[in-house]
Amino acid sequence: MMIEVLFVLIVTALAASLLGVFLVLRGMAMVTDAISHTILLGIVIAFFITNDIRSPWLIIGASLVGLATVYIIELVSKTELIRQDAAIGFVFTALFAIAIMLVSKYAGNVHLDMDVVLMGEVIFAPFNRIDILGFSIPNALWQLSIILLINIIFVTLFYKELKVTSFDPKFAYIAGFSVAFIHYALMTLVSVTAVAAFDAVGSILVINFFVAPALTAYLMVKRLGAMIGLTLVFAVLNSVAGYCISFYFDLSVAGTTAFVALITFMIVFLFNSKGFISSRIQKMQQKKAFSRAMILMLMSEQSHQSLTREEIMSHFNLSTRQFNRHIDHLLINEYMEKDEERYMLTRRGEEFTHYTRLKYELPA
Amino acid sequence: MSDILTSYTFMIVALGTVILAIASGIIGTVSVIKGQSLIGDAVGHATFPGVVLAFMLAGTRDALTLALGALLLGIIAFFIIQIITEHSTITLDSALALVLSSFFGLGMALMSFVQGNPDFEGTQGLSDYIFGQAAYMLRSDVYLILVASGLSLLVFTLFYQQLKIYIFDPVYSRSIGISNMMMNFMILAITITLIAVGLKAVGAILIVNLLIAPAVIGQLWSDRFIHVLVIAGIAGAVSAFTGTYISTAANDIATGPAIILVLSAIVLLSLLFARKGLLRRSMLKRKVGERS
Repeated sequence: MMIEVLFVLIVTALAASLLGVFLVLRGMAMVTDAISHTILLGIVIAFFITNDIRSPWLIIGASLVGLATVYIIELVSKTELIRQDAAIGFVFTALFAIAIMLVSKYAGNVHLDMDVVLMGEVIFAPFNRIDILGFSIPNALWQLSIILLINIIFVTLFYKELKVTSFDPKFAYIAGFSVAFIHYALMTLVSVTAVAAFDAVGSILVINFFVAPALTAYLMVKRLGAMIGLTLVFAVLNSVAGYCISFYFDLSVAGTTAFVALITFMIVFLFNSKGFISSRIQKMQQKKAFSRAMILMLMSEQSHQSLTREEIMSHFNLSTRQFNRHIDHLLINEYMEKDEERYMLTRRGEEFTHYTRLKYELPA
Repeated sequence: MSDILTSYTFMIVALGTVILAIASGIIGTVSVIKGQSLIGDAVGHATFPGVVLAFMLAGTRDALTLALGALLLGIIAFFIIQIITEHSTITLDSALALVLSSFFGLGMALMSFVQGNPDFEGTQGLSDYIFGQAAYMLRSDVYLILVASGLSLLVFTLFYQQLKIYIFDPVYSRSIGISNMMMNFMILAITITLIAVGLKAVGAILIVNLLIAPAVIGQLWSDRFIHVLVIAGIAGAVSAFTGTYISTAANDIATGPAIILVLSAIVLLSLLFARKGLLRRSMLKRKVGERS
C-alpha cells in the first residue's frame, strides 16, 4: 500500500512537470502559482453546492476559476494601468481571500479540512479507492493517470504549435498559429492538473511539481526535446528521493519532495558544466592567464626588456603573493628567466608575445 | 456600534492592522514601481520554515522569536533568488516560483516533524501563521508591529531622497555614488521585516495583497511619487480599519480576508473611476475623437 503513495507522487510529478516545461519557457510560472491558489475558491464553491469532496464538479469548478484567474490577470494588465506582476499579486490574493473567508464562515457546518486542501497529504491517497476492471486502485492514482495521459496527448499533438508559440509568439501569430487557442488550452490543462494534484500535494506545493524539474533541465540542455526528457527524469528522481527521505524520517511527503527539488536544482546549478562553480573557476583562470600575458607583453616592449621584481609589482599593482604565483608559473614554464634579480623573456616568451600580437592585431 | 469601537480586542487588533497596512502600503509602493512586487509573495512563503525552525530551536511561541526566524529565512530565500537570476538565464518569475514552493515545502516537512514529535508541545498556533489569526493578536504582537513599522518608516524617510533617485533613475543614482545594491537590499529587508511581523495579523499569503494593492490604488490616482505614497498609506489604513470592524461586527469572518476584500473593492473602484482609470480614459478618448 505504501508503494501506491509513491506511484501517486510520481504520476503527479510527471503530469505537472510535462506542462511545466512550457510554463517555464513562456515565463508563466507565477501565473501558475496564482492559479494553484485560486483553484481553492473553485473547490470551496463547488463543494458548498455538491457537498461531496470527491465530486467531479470540484474539478470542473476549480478549473473554471483557474481559467478565470488567468483571464482576469490578462484583462487587468492589458489596461496598461497596472504592471503584470502587480496584477498577478493582487488578483490571486483577492480570490484566495474570498475562499478563506467562505471557509472560515462556513467551516463549522461542513467537512472541508483546510489543512488538507492547502497542504495535501499524499499518504491518505490510498484510502480513497476505486474499482477499475476488477482492480482496486487509489482514486487519486486513477484520476492523475488519466490527466497524465491527456497531457501527453496534448503535448504530442500540438508539439509544433507549443514550440513555436513558446519561443516566438509574434512569429507564431504571423505564421497563422492560433496563439490564443494554445495559450488557453495549456492553461486549462494546468488548472485541471493542479486541481487533481491538490489533494495529493496540496495547492501551495503544486507549483513546485510544475516548475522545479523543468528549471533543473533548463540549466543543462538547449533542445526542447532533450529538455522534456530530462524534466521527466528529474520529476521521477525528486519524487523517489523525496519519498524515501520522508518515509525514513517520518515527514510530510509532498513538503520533503518539494524541498528535495530545490536541492536537486541547486546541485545542478552549482556543479553542471556551465554552472555557477565551473564558470567561477573559468573566470578566475582567465583572469590569471590575462595577468600573465600582460606581464609578458610588457616585457616584450623595447624599454622594458629586463625588469626587477619591484618594477613589475608596481606596474601592475600586484601583491607579493600574486607576484610570486604569476612569476613562478612563468619561470617554470620557461616563458622568462631570472638573471641577478632581473627578469627577461626567454625565446619561448618572445614567441608567445609575437603570436599574441598577431592574434589580436596589436602593433609590434 | 460604539460597543465594538471601544472594545479592547477591537482596539488592539485595529491599531495593529492599521499601522501594519500603512507601513506595508508605503514600502510596497517601491517594489510595485520597480516591478518586483512578487518577491514579497515568495519571501512571504519562505518565512514559514523560519517560523517553524524558530519554534523548534527556541521552544517558545513568543512573537519576536518567531518573527526573527521568519526574517532570517526570508533573507536566505531572497539571496538564493538573487544568485539564481544573476548567474543563470532563469527568469525572476521562474526563480520566485521555485524558491517560494521549495521553502514552503521545507516548512511543511519541519512542521510534520514537530507535530509527530512528543518533545514539542503547543504547535496549534503555528498554522495560524499561514492564514493569520488577527482576532488572537496580543498586546505584545501589536507592540512588535508598532516598533517594526515605525523603524521601517523611519529608515524610509531618512533615505527618501536616495530611494527616489534609485527608483526612477538607477543609472544616475549610481553615478552620484548611491549603492543600488544597498538600496535594493534595504527595501527588501524592510519588506521582509513587515512580512515577518504581519504574519500573525493577516498571514503569509494575504500580506502580499497588503504590499501590492495600496500601491496599485496610489498609482491609479496620481503620477507623483509622494502622492502615490500618501494615497497608498491612506488606502491601507482605511481598509485595515474597515476590514477589522467588519470582522469584529460580523461573526465568523476572519480579519485578514476581510481587510483584503475591502482593499480589493477599492482597487476595483479605482480601476474604473480613478483619475487615470478606465472610465476617465474612455471619456478622454471620446473627447479627443470629437475634436479631430
